[in-house]
Amino acid sequence: MNDLSIPGSQSTPAIDGDWDRGILLMQGDSYPENSYQLFQQVFSWVERFLLESARLLTLELRLLYLNTSSIKAMMDIFDLLEEAYRDGKPVAVNWRYDLRNERVAELAEEFREDCTFPFAILALDPAASAS
Amino acid sequence: MEPFDLFSMRESYNRQQIMLCFNGPISRSLIEEIGNALRNYLAADHAHPSAAMDVFGVYIELTQNIRHYAQQKGWTETDASATVVVARNDAGHYVVSAGNIIEQADGEALLACIDELAGLDKAALKARYKEQLRKPREAGAISGAGLGLIDIARKSSAPLQASLRRLTDGRAFVSLRAEI
Repeated sequence: MNDLSIPGSQSTPAIDGDWDRGILLMQGDSYPENSYQLFQQVFSWVERFLLESARLLTLELRLLYLNTSSIKAMMDIFDLLEEAYRDGKPVAVNWRYDLRNERVAELAEEFREDCTFPFAILALDPAASAS
Repeated sequence: MEPFDLFSMRESYNRQQIMLCFNGPISRSLIEEIGNALRNYLAADHAHPSAAMDVFGVYIELTQNIRHYAQQKGWTETDASATVVVARNDAGHYVVSAGNIIEQADGEALLACIDELAGLDKAALKARYKEQLRKPREAGAISGAGLGLIDIARKSSAPLQASLRRLTDGRAFVSLRAEI
């Protein structure tokens, strides 16, 4: 079983890694007291995918608030992607956020500044998707 | 015994526009529950989603720092006591304050750090933040405490304020105040 599935909670994001499709989905808030414990599993999954699969790995993110230790953990994951990308592996990040909350876009933007791989920050219009 | 009078307490809270306050041992789940209440208050107060996220973020960093500090010192749950106040000031800004017991020397270092951050503009704070983010994790270090303070400073609209009150046994009570 190569898939990763960690249910979300109030303070942790829902995380689903689909090995065959090469998609890692993370959504929700992330402010656990010990983020290292949670993110270590994600880091290992990404590391293994990049090592064992030649296919595209896409991170589909709908993360909202991240505490600083979650930010540090996400940076480690983006660094891993960056390193793989420089070695010629195809990777991409799509970070979707609610148009009304520009703080999330700013957070994503600060991560993107340090990345050269395809990193899209996409605004979702809740009014448009509701209709 | 002091006379039983919540009225004066209420008057004082109202005068200071305190939305939420807490005093006592703070557990991980309490941080989450109070955080929930805070989010509900902010929504009811029609705070802009970005402002609400900043207030919540400052609250989380301050309270988790207190927990991390007590854990690092090997203090008991009771020692991980926090005094937390969320209020509005006359300009309509949200103000998040938190206080806890700390060793006098650590308190002095913290005040020096806050003084230094106060002299940095937004661009310098961002540079400092990214620099801190890139520092390797130190074994046994207060998990990201340095980063937390910079993060709070970046979310604040005014320099952080801090004060230290000396207690006995080389300990002190530190108060931190962030205006969003």
